[in-house]
Amino acid sequence: MTPSAPPEIVYRLRERIHSHMAGAHPSAALGGYGRFHDQTTFLRHPDARRIDLRASLRDPFEDIHVRRFAERRAADVYAVVDLSASMAVAGACVKIELARTVALALAWSAPGVGDRFGLIGCAERERSPVFQPATRARAVALRAADSLRAELCAGRAADGFVATAGLLGQRRSLVFLISDFRWPPGLVESVLGRYAAHDVVAVVLVDSEEENPPDWGLMALADSESGERRLVFMRPALRRRWAEREQERQARLAFLAGRGRPPIFLRDRFDPADFSRRLLAV
Amino acid sequence: MIALGFDTPDIFWLAPLAAAPLAFSPLRIRKTAAIAAVPEDRLSAAIAVVLRIAGCAAIAALLVGVAGPYRTGALVDHIGEGAEIVFLIDRSASMNENFAGRAPSGDEQSKARAATQVLRDFVAGPRKDLAGVVGFSTSPMLVVPITDRREAIQAAFAAAARPGLDHTNIGRGLAMALAMFRADESGRSRALVLVSDGAAVIDPHLQTDLRADFKKAGVRLYWLFLRTEGNARLHDIPESGADTPQAAPERHLDLFFQSLGQPYRAFEAESPEQVHAAVEQIDRLERRPVLFTEIAPRQDLSTPVFTLAVLAILVLTLAKLAEIPAPVRRGGAS
Repeated sequence: MTPSAPPEIVYRLRERIHSHMAGAHPSAALGGYGRFHDQTTFLRHPDARRIDLRASLRDPFEDIHVRRFAERRAADVYAVVDLSASMAVAGACVKIELARTVALALAWSAPGVGDRFGLIGCAERERSPVFQPATRARAVALRAADSLRAELCAGRAADGFVATAGLLGQRRSLVFLISDFRWPPGLVESVLGRYAAHDVVAVVLVDSEEENPPDWGLMALADSESGERRLVFMRPALRRRWAEREQERQARLAFLAGRGRPPIFLRDRFDPADFSRRLLAV
Repeated sequence: MIALGFDTPDIFWLAPLAAAPLAFSPLRIRKTAAIAAVPEDRLSAAIAVVLRIAGCAAIAALLVGVAGPYRTGALVDHIGEGAEIVFLIDRSASMNENFAGRAPSGDEQSKARAATQVLRDFVAGPRKDLAGVVGFSTSPMLVVPITDRREAIQAAFAAAARPGLDHTNIGRGLAMALAMFRADESGRSRALVLVSDGAAVIDPHLQTDLRADFKKAGVRLYWLFLRTEGNARLHDIPESGADTPQAAPERHLDLFFQSLGQPYRAFEAESPEQVHAAVEQIDRLERRPVLFTEIAPRQDLSTPVFTLAVLAILVLTLAKLAEIPAPVRRGGAS
């Protein structure tokens, strides 16, 4: 466990949720607590505690009126973390460390406002090395988030994201897809499609070293997942192409997520305040 | 046959090492999250291929170099244009004189020097002659046996230009020159070039032997007669009574040569220019394909092989120097 408490994150859901548990988020449920919504007849909403005497007396047809309130309910927050080998590569940062920081912050914050936190680790298809169903117990959530370590990152691919969408259940949840999104073409689209029922936030972990390769020299690079090797002769022209390619990739991610929330790019470090700001700006 | 050989071929058990650069990189491998982030680049791919080849070449060349490669020595057959020629050079005292019959003064040349100078040019030309040199004065001297070593022949001519001694004993000189043609190599074109400024009486017994030798050897005979001013020409017929071998040895030697039944030509030269013209004519006449063998010495081949290894290692070193060092991580590996 980390010695100090993880940072607090504030978030908001994009739409009213459907849930049975009281919590902090606006929901579609109307009941006896919360923000006043409307009045209706007692027959429709037989809640004797919220009988509106003034409205009932005023009614010439002598119906009994009841006040309804839009209740706040609890949501499920899931962190779906990429555990492919590329997450353990040490650049300017280790991405899985960054993912762990984000997951810890969520595991701390979500139970704090009454939401449940769940954690799913994804690597190859049919294999989920880490799975913590949504829980309101903060200690359990934190322990699950803390278990995200570089040693777990052994997957050769990230297509597990497609399969693990089924673990989330039917109710609309806030889902953080935490990955570097260095996926084969088409996978991002299909994953976003599988999670379309949820409020999805793509948290794109970016290593600034990958964005800014050196100017001159030779590098022997090896892919962390496929092991494919390539010698690269860095020079300003290639560097420019490299940076353009990276920008294109990020622009494409933003485009794909465009109908939902814009992706959040975490460059080397996690800034909780900025993260919260982006989550609130929906 | 020329073949390759190695001093310690056992070293080639290590030959599979030469394939190691195909699997290992000379540069430190850096793990990257996704190779797809790297744009395709032809120049980089070409450099990768070059480095692999350089790696394989460096190891292979070092192995070959350590194994000690050499080219085995052998007898090599060559075909050239020329002939098997024996030069029979008069070394008598009269050859020290110039064409005027006096001791050379100023920039004049002695007959010996003039003749050998022309012959040296002849041998130094593009011809592929097998040549031997015999000198003779009172008795014959074997200078160089029939060989294709130009240096030896040149040296023999240089030696023949030194002042000579004594008389002209042409018969024994001819006998020795003919003896130099070996009987077994009958396929070659053979010529005997006699360079003299005079003649002498050949013993009648020796004459019969010579006739037989000439027939046996089957040589064409050229007589380069360096006539001293005032001496009789070959075809001058002296008045009767003086027409004896003793009185006109040149004419009678000419007659003897003509009677041999072998192709024969005589050239009279009265100046270095005429010697030159005569030798040019011989050059034209004696052009036939000639097969000769040469001994190619054993040759050490390790120098070019090690040079290749050094070049390959240089390429690899340059690549290593151009490598981008991996940045130092704070807090060590995690």
